[in-house]
Amino acid sequence: MKYITKFDAIPKLNGSWQFLDVYSYEGMIPGQLLYSICHHGIIKKIHFPDGYDLSEFTMVSAKDIPGKNIVPEPECDQPYMADKEVFHFGQVIMGIAHPNRKLLREFISNTSIEYEELPAITDIKECLDNEKNAFGRELTIDHRTGKNPDPNWVHHHGIYYTPHQEQAYLEPQGMIAVWKLAEREMFVRANAQCPFFVKEGVEAIMGDSINEAIIETSEGIGGAFGGKEDFPSLLAGITSLLSYKSGKPVKIVLDRSDDIQITTKRHPARIEINSWTNPETKKIMKIDIDYRLDAGAYQTLSPIVLARGVLHAISGYSIPDAFIRGRLFRSNTPSNGAFRGFGAPQAFAAMEAHIDDIAANLKINSYNFRKINLFKIGDEFPTTQPIIENNLSDCLERVIEKANYLNKLEEFKEWNKTHKDKKGIGISIGYHGGGYTGNGEKVLNSEVKVVIEKDAIVKIFVANTDMGQGAHTTLAQMFFEAIDHPCEKCRIQLPNTSKTPNSGPTVASRTIYIIGNLLRKFALKIKDELGFENLEEYVKSHQNEFPREFRMNFVQDPSVVFDDENYVGVAYKDYSWAACVTEIYFHADTYQIELTKSWNVMDIGKVVNQKIATGQAEGGILQGLAYGLCEFFYKPGYGRMHGFTDYALPTTMDLPDVDVEFIHTDSMVAKGLGEIPMDFPAPSIRNAFYNATGIFINEYPMIPERILSHIQKNKD
Amino acid sequence: MKINFILNKNGVSVDVDPMKRLLDILREDFRLLGTKESCGEGECGACTVLLDGKPVTSCLVNAVHIDGKEVMTSEGIAQEPLGKLLIDCFDETNAVQCGFCFPGFFVTSYHYVKTDGEKSLDKIKKALSGNICRCTGYQKIFESVMLACKRK
Repeated sequence: MKYITKFDAIPKLNGSWQFLDVYSYEGMIPGQLLYSICHHGIIKKIHFPDGYDLSEFTMVSAKDIPGKNIVPEPECDQPYMADKEVFHFGQVIMGIAHPNRKLLREFISNTSIEYEELPAITDIKECLDNEKNAFGRELTIDHRTGKNPDPNWVHHHGIYYTPHQEQAYLEPQGMIAVWKLAEREMFVRANAQCPFFVKEGVEAIMGDSINEAIIETSEGIGGAFGGKEDFPSLLAGITSLLSYKSGKPVKIVLDRSDDIQITTKRHPARIEINSWTNPETKKIMKIDIDYRLDAGAYQTLSPIVLARGVLHAISGYSIPDAFIRGRLFRSNTPSNGAFRGFGAPQAFAAMEAHIDDIAANLKINSYNFRKINLFKIGDEFPTTQPIIENNLSDCLERVIEKANYLNKLEEFKEWNKTHKDKKGIGISIGYHGGGYTGNGEKVLNSEVKVVIEKDAIVKIFVANTDMGQGAHTTLAQMFFEAIDHPCEKCRIQLPNTSKTPNSGPTVASRTIYIIGNLLRKFALKIKDELGFENLEEYVKSHQNEFPREFRMNFVQDPSVVFDDENYVGVAYKDYSWAACVTEIYFHADTYQIELTKSWNVMDIGKVVNQKIATGQAEGGILQGLAYGLCEFFYKPGYGRMHGFTDYALPTTMDLPDVDVEFIHTDSMVAKGLGEIPMDFPAPSIRNAFYNATGIFINEYPMIPERILSHIQKNKD
Repeated sequence: MKINFILNKNGVSVDVDPMKRLLDILREDFRLLGTKESCGEGECGACTVLLDGKPVTSCLVNAVHIDGKEVMTSEGIAQEPLGKLLIDCFDETNAVQCGFCFPGFFVTSYHYVKTDGEKSLDKIKKALSGNICRCTGYQKIFESVMLACKRK
């Protein structure tokens, strides 16, 4: 668990680390997207403003596309650019480039588009409450016994809503495309998490007009959190087309307003839960979960978000009779996409709230109720995957102890009797399956490469990007520590689709879990193959063998067998586990929840780099707390929320003291860390608010306006 | 319009549109690329620089506002002894993740440590409240600034 300083820390601090906007190519011109401000309609006419020489502009629209006008995604249904009909605000209609950026901006802001407007759904509830809006494949996990609930059992029902959430990476999306006519090659400098996805995206739109697309990421990627997983394919496609048509390198960097309005966000959800408990044993006997996601106008990658959502929907409880139904719903808002947690935060926001609702109904404290129902070795997930460890229970016990939960419950109860303001304490738990779901990692078949040079420098080639999470430092550390070779001897190739093998996308908490553990095994394999004790000495005495290249592929554990049709089997080989206790102070006059303390205990297996891991956890927990407390979109795509002024990001003043502890760190395997911190904190705020006030609110986030209107409604 | 100002301790002059943003002047006319644009409306602090010694968001400052004044960017601060000390503290605590917001945090932290420097978490939180970081959850940044206050 030693700390190795991140390779990139100093250049990032002194500002010399290269983010996309810094890159320049000879003759490069700026581009910009022209997008719909209509939610649903037929494009009648595009009016360009007078007084501009149109021949100076390069313009591309759907009809210019030499390849296919469909972005490659798990579900291929989204066009790069709308042809005749637009289905959401923010849908791209044209790409336009001009050598003068200021003039280009003016031109686009003065361009107007005439639409024949059609009916549109833009409200989350309007979308998710109406069964008619369901589309795409329905997923079910059926673990029913077929028996009716016992008449003595107590029935509980709740409907929970979660909002859109913006990734809000500090560096907006951007792309540079450089058309090389002689080689018929499209080179793309990408601000993206997954260079191989971008490659597919460029090759799909360009079709046979190019031989190959080569993608290299920028040196710096200023945050991503899932937001730079699939939108970059669309952006790179259009930027490439502009470069192809103009014959010049083209750079598009979105300004914040465009970025926040047209790119993907976290899916809003409506999760309805019916459950039945035995009042004697306090055990949950039966559960029925209806899990709905607002996918936006197109499905794109929503089917796999839905898959993860239903697989985490039941949270950490053993329930003998369970049925989970997952569906996507269509609205006229930009397609929602990946965001840290990927369907799981919604699941826990609902189920962990529901658990507190039941506990309150049964008049038992929420810790004891969780303890009774938590799954343990010998139980199984609704997919029949066996539970093989009690580590979730260990996380819960540890966090309860650290937070002094039971004493605080009593203490706050007493304090609240004599105060108008209220104090509260809430629990939530969570887990996250590492890597791609089910057979995904088998299909990906990730490959890694290293080259050992004559001076014992080891160069690592992986397609996984470092977007701030410290992946490159941690990956190198895993390889180098395995063979006890000094980390200063490490070089990492910037992800480039023609140089780095396809080690899969940088998503799904898989970078350290899949690629890191693979690199560790790989290092040991090379050591074994060459038979060295000290690599440096070996290279010195075998100079003629070097430089030498080695490659290795990931092999999935044979225990991972998953039936994608029926959702039965082992969905994830390893899970990370977590439990959280949050304390709040409710200001009765302003209806404001102030977070005062957050305790978090996580099992992520082996902790490779303590400081990097803690930093990841703290950042994710803050995003998770903010998801429960303040972040949401008021009518996405109305042009009403278009910056950090109106989208409420947490500042240094909104943060409680966050305590993080990792347990079971003696494990051999480093498990997923990226997403788990985001999954579980939000419901702890909601549960703490109930503990403080006795008021249940089933909609996130817990903003003062919502609390006020809830209290007023209940008064009436 | 021709403006003269002091940039990182050197007198400079530049001929620009009077409404050109200081952010763009720094990035385009002087290629000082540490100062970043993120929100473009003064909310996030990624473009923070010191104007006559006080932190300002350079996306909201126009050319006319800087004529005859003194501007310090993250590049200039990195050359100061206190700047170097801060860099070490940030590095040591792993406060830097994606790094995009960081030059802004660096400038604001420098200003706090230089002008106040009390080892008070409440004061540090308040001083940094105009800078947004989405990666770190701020905790490690507080630790770094505390460390710098201790060592200065």
